[in-house]
Amino acid sequence: MTAERKVEDITAKRMLINWLGLGLFALLGVAAVVPLFLIIGDVYIKGIDAINRLGGLWHFLTELPPTPVDERGGIGPMLVGTLYMTALGALFGIAVGFPLGVYIGEMRREKFANVARAGVNILVEFPTIVVGLFVYAVMSLAKEDLNKYLLDPLSKALSPLGGWITQFIGPLDGFNAYAGAAALSIIMIPYVALITASAYASIEQPLREAAYAIGGRDFNALFVVLRKAVSRAVVTAALLGTAKIAGETAPLLFTAFGNTYYAPFTGPTGAVSLWIWYAAQTPYDVLIASAYGAAAVLLTIILIIFIVARIRG
Amino acid sequence: MLGFLLVVLLIPYLIAAYGLLFVKLRWGLRLFGAFIVATIGLLTAMFLVEAYPIIARDGVAVFLQTRWDPVRESYGVLQALAGTVLTSAVAMALAMPMALGVAVTINEILPARWRGVFGSLVDLTATMPTVIYGLWGLFVLGPTLQSLVNALAGSTVMTTPYTLFTAGVLLAIMITPYAAAVIREGYSLVPKPVEEAIYAIGATRFEAVLIKLRYVRNYIIGGFFLALGRAMGETVAVAMVVGGNFAKFTTNIFESGITISSLIALQFPNAASYQYMAPALFAAALLLTLFGLAINAVAIYIIQRGQI
Amino acid sequence: MAKIELKDLRVSFGASPVITGVNLSIPDRSITALMGPSGSGKSTILRVLNRLIELYPEAKVSGEVYLDGQNIFDMNVLELRRRVQMIFQIPNPIPNLSIFENVALGLKLNRLVKGRKELFERVKSALEKAQLWDDVKNRLDMPAGKLSGGQQQRLCVARALAFEPEVLLADEPTANLDPENTAKLEALFLSLKKEMTIVLVTHYPPQAARVSDYVAFLYKGQIVEWGPTKDIFTKPRHELTEKYVTGRLY
Repeated sequence: MTAERKVEDITAKRMLINWLGLGLFALLGVAAVVPLFLIIGDVYIKGIDAINRLGGLWHFLTELPPTPVDERGGIGPMLVGTLYMTALGALFGIAVGFPLGVYIGEMRREKFANVARAGVNILVEFPTIVVGLFVYAVMSLAKEDLNKYLLDPLSKALSPLGGWITQFIGPLDGFNAYAGAAALSIIMIPYVALITASAYASIEQPLREAAYAIGGRDFNALFVVLRKAVSRAVVTAALLGTAKIAGETAPLLFTAFGNTYYAPFTGPTGAVSLWIWYAAQTPYDVLIASAYGAAAVLLTIILIIFIVARIRG
Repeated sequence: MLGFLLVVLLIPYLIAAYGLLFVKLRWGLRLFGAFIVATIGLLTAMFLVEAYPIIARDGVAVFLQTRWDPVRESYGVLQALAGTVLTSAVAMALAMPMALGVAVTINEILPARWRGVFGSLVDLTATMPTVIYGLWGLFVLGPTLQSLVNALAGSTVMTTPYTLFTAGVLLAIMITPYAAAVIREGYSLVPKPVEEAIYAIGATRFEAVLIKLRYVRNYIIGGFFLALGRAMGETVAVAMVVGGNFAKFTTNIFESGITISSLIALQFPNAASYQYMAPALFAAALLLTLFGLAINAVAIYIIQRGQI
Repeated sequence: MAKIELKDLRVSFGASPVITGVNLSIPDRSITALMGPSGSGKSTILRVLNRLIELYPEAKVSGEVYLDGQNIFDMNVLELRRRVQMIFQIPNPIPNLSIFENVALGLKLNRLVKGRKELFERVKSALEKAQLWDDVKNRLDMPAGKLSGGQQQRLCVARALAFEPEVLLADEPTANLDPENTAKLEALFLSLKKEMTIVLVTHYPPQAARVSDYVAFLYKGQIVEWGPTKDIFTKPRHELTEKYVTGRLY
């Protein structure tokens, strides 16, 4: 009798521990996700209010930022900067990241491919400020000669096309949009590469052999026949990578630097993330409000990209 | 001249690499591989060059002393080193339990329909711009933590909302998804036969979870190091909430402090005005890079070693 | 009274029925074989007997199963699994745990022993019964994943025997073993049946003929015929049974 009672007690105790333990795990899991809601809520509540106070959505998206004494303002130049640099950065990020990913994913038996893979793994988790610093160093080193030998003559040659060309091409300042885009692409390349590599690596051997048999040339096999198999993952990587770099701040600190005016991309360029970084740390209410408004805009862009990526994937 | 050559060769190189893809695919692909290796090599070289002036003048003292005196051109980053260590420690202590919680919740507790949504929420947490985390930390988390900590302690332990502790908590929220992703992947790879065996010998669900976690120990360690690397390198969010205490060495997490990455972010705008500040910051960047490299190498090694 | 009774057992995975009404009595202290072609549902029945089927949320179970007259679905599942142990087709020790730990784990979890000495004795005697003790006595701390296939299976047998179970369920345990290990395991079953009830799933009729006292022939989720082994193999009443035991049905 006592033995049975004891067994029942032990079982009851184990079931109690079971519920408590699982409950603890669930609590921790939920705790990881709760801040997300708090942050999104905070940004949208204060941000939408700020946008309304500062002039309404359309004005906010096009006007120049407020000075400490203004009552209205917007993030026009910064939005343009973000869109331009993100687009360029994503373009190069995919253009280089995809073939790189194919290389380290498909040609794994080569020793050099493993070296490259190690390099990609190193780069993918690099502190982003270091990447920005690197581009800054290269930019400072190359600026003079680059302008003298390439960009001055080029912009003179293109000037018949009209004054608008100088917005995009011309001698570069130390801080410019292209340096910013370069830093962003260096951040995106390893990310796209790794996802591409694992997409190709997870192709089952029979499918791969069939692709090579049908495709004839390697090129056809990898990019035409196997396209369907990997395109979903690669497109998702491209979208998520773009979302990631759209929100980056640190790499732009010393490359694009920031600008509160509509200005040529060959000089200091603003970005939404840079504006938030700067404005939030000032003591002026109107600037802090514009930071929240900017955050709401940035968050919306990223959420849209994220949701599109999730739906497709 | 060197810089010029570099930049001028870049576009033709990439065009050539692309062209080669169509002609001799494998060689084209190799060129892309070379590109990435060259980038890393170049980065290391440039940092060494830029940091050289201060290392030549002070040796390793720049890493071992606490000082930020631009006027006297005297720099030491020990306080930043301590700050990085402390904020990372706080962050990891909070993040690892949460990451385990996420992995177990997704794989064991949630019904199948909710797993995708929950997983997406965790992934979204990772995709959020760090500057928005900083914004929230600045105006919401900081003050809230200050009230909370002081209330729990019964006295003014935190005199300002912006301390190493605040940065640590904010970091924890940001890095949890990274560790969680690795642990989740490992956990889902536990073979069905092993799972059947665990339950056949009469384990409760919780006991089974503990056994499985032990089975994926390598992934947990790997996730740990991955998140740690991320914590040490995070710049913007930390810079906005850590308090910007450049010149004083402190080990009290409830005081303001500074980390290596936030030091670089906050001081670099001043660097043009001083002779040795930029080299000092590049030296700090070099240190950060080496740390990050070491940690990520360990992470990858451990994860791969588990994949026998 | 039979050790295990199945009454109108039905199991379906989602929309596909796998077991469509099974009635069976499994006698105590004997070996009952479940044989039949692949997909007939034998492994599924086995997994109902220790409620391991509950690991598959898509599986819907109806009907009654009695162990010593008690409905197993009313029992605490931990108690059921203390009394009913299982060995699997693919040996599945927990590879990162040591040999000793693998056998000890179940005992520790269920608090079946008190103190290290008793634990060691139980583990040792289980390993001896499984005929693995001599092979591993000097390397009990080695990770179980490093044993050979045959040794891993014997480790799993030891793990089950450590419980001193009333029922041993065996799901095609020799399917992945070489003839020598197969013969050893079959001999072990024959010696064990004096102490416990054994339910053996096999897709190889000669094995059922060699080893079992009773055999049930399962075809497409239904029991076609069951009874004492000798009768079934020499005088099968059903045409399907006859085809199966003579190798003309798979």
